[in-house]
Amino acid sequence: MQTKGGSSGVVLGCRSFCRGSLGDRAHTRTLRRSRFPSGCGPLRGGPGHTLRPPGLVPQPRPRGPGGGPVPVHIAGPGAVCSPRGGEEEEQPQPGSGAGHENRPSPKELEELELLNRALEKALKVRKSILKSPLEAPGATGKKLAGEGPAARKAEEQQVPVSVEDVPESTKVGTGSKKPGSSKKPSAYQLRAPYRTDPDVKKPQRKAPARCVSQGPRTSGKNSSKGVASKQRGSQRTATGSATEVCAPAEPQKTLGLSKSAPNEQQSFSVGDSAGGKNSIAAGQELFDAGKKSCGFLGESSKKEDTAGASGRSPSPGTGTLQEKGCQLKLPLPYRIAYSRNSRAWEKCHLCQTSADAAAARARFMERIQTTFCSPKADFSPAEIEEELRVLQDVRSHLRQYVEAETADPPTLQGEYESLLTLEGLQTTVAQCLQKLQLLRAALESQLRLRPDCTGDVGSCSPACVPARGQMCDTAGVLALPLLCYSSFQELRDLFALKLQVSMLHQEIALQKVLMAELLPVLEPSPCPEGSARLFRAIHTQLCQGGRSFPVLVRDELGD
Amino acid sequence: MARSVLCPQAERTGGTSSGTSRDPGYPGRQAGSPQCSLPAGRRRRSGRDGRKGSAGRAGSGGGMRGRQRVQHREHREHREHRERGRALSAAAGALCRALPPRARPAPDTLRRARFDRPQASLDFWRLLYALLKQIHGGRWTESDTIDNQIRFVKSALWYHGYDRPELYQLPADGSAGSRELLLAFSWMLHRLGLLERLLARNRVRTGDETSVCTCEDDLPNIQKGTPETTPECGLEDRVDVRYLQWLNGRLRFQWQSLHAQHQEQCKLLHKIHLFTSGSHVDQVLGHFSVTETDLVRQPENYKQLIQLLESETMQLEAFLEWKQLEPVYWQWMETVLDNMAEEGNMCKSQDTHVEKRRLPELTSCCPWADNLTGQIDRLSRDLMTLQDQLHKLVAHRKAAWCEKVKAREEELQKEGFSATARKIQESVELKLLDLTRLCAPKKNKMHGLYRLVLRSKHPASKTGFGQCVSKEPVSAVSATEVIRELRMREASLQRELEQLREECRHRLDAIAEGLDGVICISP
Repeated sequence: MQTKGGSSGVVLGCRSFCRGSLGDRAHTRTLRRSRFPSGCGPLRGGPGHTLRPPGLVPQPRPRGPGGGPVPVHIAGPGAVCSPRGGEEEEQPQPGSGAGHENRPSPKELEELELLNRALEKALKVRKSILKSPLEAPGATGKKLAGEGPAARKAEEQQVPVSVEDVPESTKVGTGSKKPGSSKKPSAYQLRAPYRTDPDVKKPQRKAPARCVSQGPRTSGKNSSKGVASKQRGSQRTATGSATEVCAPAEPQKTLGLSKSAPNEQQSFSVGDSAGGKNSIAAGQELFDAGKKSCGFLGESSKKEDTAGASGRSPSPGTGTLQEKGCQLKLPLPYRIAYSRNSRAWEKCHLCQTSADAAAARARFMERIQTTFCSPKADFSPAEIEEELRVLQDVRSHLRQYVEAETADPPTLQGEYESLLTLEGLQTTVAQCLQKLQLLRAALESQLRLRPDCTGDVGSCSPACVPARGQMCDTAGVLALPLLCYSSFQELRDLFALKLQVSMLHQEIALQKVLMAELLPVLEPSPCPEGSARLFRAIHTQLCQGGRSFPVLVRDELGD
Repeated sequence: MARSVLCPQAERTGGTSSGTSRDPGYPGRQAGSPQCSLPAGRRRRSGRDGRKGSAGRAGSGGGMRGRQRVQHREHREHREHRERGRALSAAAGALCRALPPRARPAPDTLRRARFDRPQASLDFWRLLYALLKQIHGGRWTESDTIDNQIRFVKSALWYHGYDRPELYQLPADGSAGSRELLLAFSWMLHRLGLLERLLARNRVRTGDETSVCTCEDDLPNIQKGTPETTPECGLEDRVDVRYLQWLNGRLRFQWQSLHAQHQEQCKLLHKIHLFTSGSHVDQVLGHFSVTETDLVRQPENYKQLIQLLESETMQLEAFLEWKQLEPVYWQWMETVLDNMAEEGNMCKSQDTHVEKRRLPELTSCCPWADNLTGQIDRLSRDLMTLQDQLHKLVAHRKAAWCEKVKAREEELQKEGFSATARKIQESVELKLLDLTRLCAPKKNKMHGLYRLVLRSKHPASKTGFGQCVSKEPVSAVSATEVIRELRMREASLQRELEQLREECRHRLDAIAEGLDGVICISP
């Protein structure tokens, strides 16, 4: 059974594996450790699977049915989750070109169903065996995780779970000790119903499955909420977001359940239930842990994040996202829609015009072109604009080149090189001028054909001034446009430069307008008294960009 | 025979009577419409066209057999018609579905336009209006008055170089000309890459998008602003220059706070990208965007997004279907041209456009044209100056060079200067190549919105990451590249600004000299 699940999810498993091993977690840990140097610190910080201090182990047990099974469930996903990982991931996967059908075939569904039953049984058995010792599940989980391909397949959940369950028990054990405990109680109370809930529902197949899968997602939600609130800059406290978290959890559950498309739904929920069941508690754990860390990391990361402009609220969010980010999962409907969509884009991008179509099209275009006023019109107005833009660009580069060459070079070779360069530039300038002539002529002939322009701006400007940047090539247009950056610094530079460029655009436009409006004010130069002040103001504005001003000295010696 | 292609239901069983009933272009349900009376002439013609050879023979043979043969032939033709008609209506259907939902025409509109039905013309104007508005990124509503719409479509088509005079002569109330519009639409379809462009433009954005183009973006507003400010010129004396300074300072302050906000946004974006890496279904992306992170948090708010994605998927599928059926459409369009040629529309055009050409000479009032002419003038002035400068420089250098070479000819020969000279030539050519590449008009500049994706520079350090990186889409640009481009643009804009300021300095210096008893000391 395991192998089966494994084989279906190799690729995905690898991904989830790398997900688990992302570097930022280590970062989080250090943070946490520094926050809780004694006792619980290393606990949370450590890999978690094994480092559970014995003192904490019994803690969950007193909680009874709610707490007891936790470790068992946790062990579960590690071992049994794989099919689910395969299944759930696979659904959207075809989008990236795996060549899969989008919907599972009935046969597959059947198999899945069987698989799920088996998994459930396995879970029960496991539960009864592994009831008490907490280390065991953790260890199992870990072992499985390290077990190579099969374990890698284990859905991402496995990783979070094993990581998560440590904080969870820690929390239970040391609840009162923690500095952030004021937040914890609420999290704890919230958890109880959640924890028991899935267990109650267990007999039904689908419902728990959904709930279960909510678990990890919920935690994701939780964390991202923090982030979003950070985004908005709202002053939500950590506690606030922690308690709020449970609200979205419910709706989502029902959303999942009430979703239509019975066939699909079935298959998905089945898929969910496979791993989901196992991770019922795990999910809860995750959820709680997420909640907790929301409150708790919030404080530690606040320190780190002093620069955060929005103050308190961002930090908790960051903390949680930081912790859970790699394990978040997009909601299923979105994943399906997304992967279908991206597959369609991919196909469209690769799709080529058939020779037939190209020929027929060319014939049509040729024929219609012959009926044009100027069948061989060189430039359309749009092209004129485009060409002009290119030439303007060239102008500025030419200037740069010329400036670079004005100084006399020291060596003979340098002199020769400079001479050649200058000659080359000369040719280029001549070419540009020639082209400009062509453009001017084209513009004139185009204007003659212009549909009745009444001269008022409203009528012609919409077409006259199309949004720039829209006129790009259609060739690569259907590809997914990605802009890859590799570091924070790069992203910052990018944004700063973008702003700088648009600022310069604006500044130039302003400069032109000001030149047109301010210089005529001075040029007649009527009254000397007021004009000196005016002169200075305008000078400042036009020549210094408003940054510095000239000194005007009254020369009264002449009098 | 081509006549019927868009009308699969045009099949008539008889084919016995005259051309009228044969015209397959008239589907039954339209036969009763008031427009029926309109193209009587065409009808007859098309009937003739359809039969061509057979009609003649039937006429000469006269008897029943001839009739039967004609019938057979007609049946066969009908079958062909039906098949082609089916393909064509599928193509038209796919085409319509591939258009953006807001501008989606009924496939019927195309067919009606093919027969120049007046009732299709309004639909067509609206269609073109919606499409062109979308391409130009303008705002629009269905309620825009029809003559505005028509004016816009005409000038937009003109802008893109559609030169068919008949279109521009269509009545401004949109009461006729659906076939002309169909032609224009088809022309746009190819010339502008209409479908592709619209698909790309309207792409559902789920990522953190940022624009990469360095084009001037807000120009339209500025241009629109200018004429409004001109009337205020009279007030200028009354406006304190300090107000201007204050405004300028405010602007500067806004820029700065915008910058701070951008930086903050970057920080958050980066965090989200970093922390969610590996979570996305799409391995090419790897991590969530802000939208997706929020979606995880409250999926119930994103039903609409999912719907949008789904409808876009359908549109894309329609596009694929269209690409399959495209040849049928273009062949059909050719027959439309055939018909028009038959009707003599094409020849007529020759006379009209000569007339048209002479017509509006007074259009120089168009601000767009003025602006463009201004730009051209300015550019050519600049280039002239540059040319003079270069000319002088070259002459000077050349003279110096010749002198030096003459003086040290032997020495240079000994040193093997010719080899060095060749090397220098090559390097100069290389240097100038950049410039020539700039001159090439169709260089693939980056435009539009791109989705920001964080890619670790050291994927190897993360186990199992290798595979994620391998599948890199072609269209991905790197931030380094964009930054380089932006730097170049920044530098050139800075130069441009500096030049403008220099110009001001000259003029103001001249003015300062005219000021009595005041000495200006520039900072």
